Amino acid sequence: MNKIIRFTIREYMAAVKTKGFIIGLVIAPVMMSGGFLAFLLLKDRVDTTDKKIAVIDHTGVVVEALIDAAENRNKNEIFDEESGQKVKPAYFIEVIKPTSSDTMQQHLELSDRVRNGELHAFMVIGSDVIHPGEDKLGDDISYYGKNAAMDDVRRWTGWPIYNHLRKLRLADAGIEESQVPELFQWIDVSGLGLVSVDESTGDIEDAREASPIEALVVPIAFMMLMFIMIMFSVPAMLNSVMEEKTQRIAEVMLGSITPFEFMSAKLLSGIAVSLTSSAVYVFGGLFVLTSLSLQGYIPFFVLPWFFVYMILAVMMFGAMSASLGATCSEPKDAQSLSFPMILPALIPMFIYFPIAKEPLSSFSTWMSLIPPFTPMLMTLRMATPDSIPLWQPIVGLLGVILFTIIFVWAGGRIFRVAILMQGTPPKFANIIKWAIRG
Amino acid sequence: MMSLIELESVSKTFGKHVAVDKLSLSVPKGSVYGFIGPNGSGKTTTLRMIMNILPPDSGKIMVFGEQLKSTSCDRIGYMPEERGLYKRMKVRELLIFMGGLKNAENLKSNVDQWLERLELSDWANKKVETLSKGMSQKVQFIATVVAEPQLIILDEPFTGLDPVNTEVIKDAILDLQSRGTTVVFSTHDMSMAEKMCDFIFMIFKGNKVLDGTLNNIQDKYANDTIRIRSGNGTAVFKDLKGVEKINDYGRLQELRIADDADPHAILREIINRTRIESFDIVKPSLHDIFVRIAGSEAEEVNNE
Repeated sequence: MNKIIRFTIREYMAAVKTKGFIIGLVIAPVMMSGGFLAFLLLKDRVDTTDKKIAVIDHTGVVVEALIDAAENRNKNEIFDEESGQKVKPAYFIEVIKPTSSDTMQQHLELSDRVRNGELHAFMVIGSDVIHPGEDKLGDDISYYGKNAAMDDVRRWTGWPIYNHLRKLRLADAGIEESQVPELFQWIDVSGLGLVSVDESTGDIEDAREASPIEALVVPIAFMMLMFIMIMFSVPAMLNSVMEEKTQRIAEVMLGSITPFEFMSAKLLSGIAVSLTSSAVYVFGGLFVLTSLSLQGYIPFFVLPWFFVYMILAVMMFGAMSASLGATCSEPKDAQSLSFPMILPALIPMFIYFPIAKEPLSSFSTWMSLIPPFTPMLMTLRMATPDSIPLWQPIVGLLGVILFTIIFVWAGGRIFRVAILMQGTPPKFANIIKWAIRG
Repeated sequence: MMSLIELESVSKTFGKHVAVDKLSLSVPKGSVYGFIGPNGSGKTTTLRMIMNILPPDSGKIMVFGEQLKSTSCDRIGYMPEERGLYKRMKVRELLIFMGGLKNAENLKSNVDQWLERLELSDWANKKVETLSKGMSQKVQFIATVVAEPQLIILDEPFTGLDPVNTEVIKDAILDLQSRGTTVVFSTHDMSMAEKMCDFIFMIFKGNKVLDGTLNNIQDKYANDTIRIRSGNGTAVFKDLKGVEKINDYGRLQELRIADDADPHAILREIINRTRIESFDIVKPSLHDIFVRIAGSEAEEVNNE
């Protein structure tokens, strides 16, 4: 045990004393939050070039509303109130008369004007949009542009057109809008959690407002953190063992420690590295959320599960990583093994969204009970506001423990055979043979 | 004399290749025991089995009078043929770490003494990656002996060393022996084995072919070698009857005589042909014995 501890300390210090570790510790969260930060920093950096939109209005009465809305917007919304600087593009509406002959030809000509940059887009308002119905052909509004799906102008046109159509319909029905101002008042449906009893006072507590932070951001952050921890330590183990083998350090070490002690120390140092990094992130995250008075969103009960699952995940993947590292005689071998080795940790990354959205579905339950996926997916599910039945994390934990034992056992056998073997490429059949026969 | 290592009918195969075949040997306590044999003959495999790095397929290995176990290695210093060190560690830090893995005591003072003895004190706080090859090998040697093991096993300890460092390591080994340490080392340097080893063991194709003191081994061979210095090269020995083989060492030639030939008759014939500076009728050297056993395969090894 003394030897394992000594070797573990050496491995741990060798890992954490490097510039790469310290830089990685800082860079990983920056990269994770980089997209969000970039969005915040760049959200006001919009294209202020004016945009002209051609409109073919088959009703003849809707386009006026767009013209008025555009003029109003150009006057009141596109300049910064304090500096007077233009911060948004102005919109201009060009009215095009509908053709009675070749509609497609007209649309083609307008499309060419868009391609030439003369127009930003063009719009066709159907003849029956005021009183649409199943038997009517012209009850739609079409927007043609280079990138219509993401076009801000398209989104902007919706409200003025809808508002004007509403007025026209009320007028046709002989109702004045001022008589029924609340007729179209939109009432939002608020998302709330569940009402509960405060255990300390016995009082009934009102439910807290549901938040996307609680529903998605926190669970995904937990899962991402575990993924980063696995990526932080597991591939490093493969490279470290391979280096010790190729640099002929392994046999020197085996003169003092057994292969079991060798691999155990590698695993323990991997766990120690992961715990160090995760502790920095978890406690850093708790500090930030508490400082922002957002501690209510932290599922504290998940933290012990997170650490237990993370330790087992590092052991499970680490055992295979160290043993596969022992089969490599050159960096090329390690490169070819890296992807299959991290694949079990990557799969949860592909399927996390439906699981975070519906953590109680059969798909979510079964996927999170597959041992290599359990640490990441069960933590994700548990961190959602839904209540996961307790038996599931317990069964998941037992499965992971069983798999970890199998992986460590098989990894130890592969490691013992392969660590002194030179020049034998790591073929899948050999690896299986060594795992079974030892 | 008490045996520190006992191998009884030990075998090891890798796939279909028999690396060691029913090998038995006994290493007396306090001796310097030389392992010789051509490349691929099973030397390293045998040493690894003694170190418990490789398990034997069959047979029995006793070390320190008891069945080999993992804790036995704490009392054995091992320097493998292919050796490496953690390049980013500092020399002193590395040596203390390596000694610590043997659960050694007095480590810090031992490390300092050895560094001073091998003239590496100035490099104690330098990283291993800054050392020359010779220095690295000396550090490797210190790492092997710093825990004061009762037995040291050195696989090719002199390979790659210059004559000065060879002398330093040789003296250190003999000093350890004088203090009671048993030394097992493998080598391709026959003259070093002749000079240093109390016992010599030769393995060839996994089998024991020689085992004993140098005198015991040489006694098995007759006085069948004429060592001659004539200054006229090998040309004068052409077509000499009764000579099986000529080894030319430049200024010295060794003539191996056939079993039924008379060395005196051969000498007379040589005197008729050239002027002789010196001659000696001797038993074959260890090198010659090695070559006779291992043949052309061993010749290649010794010419490396």
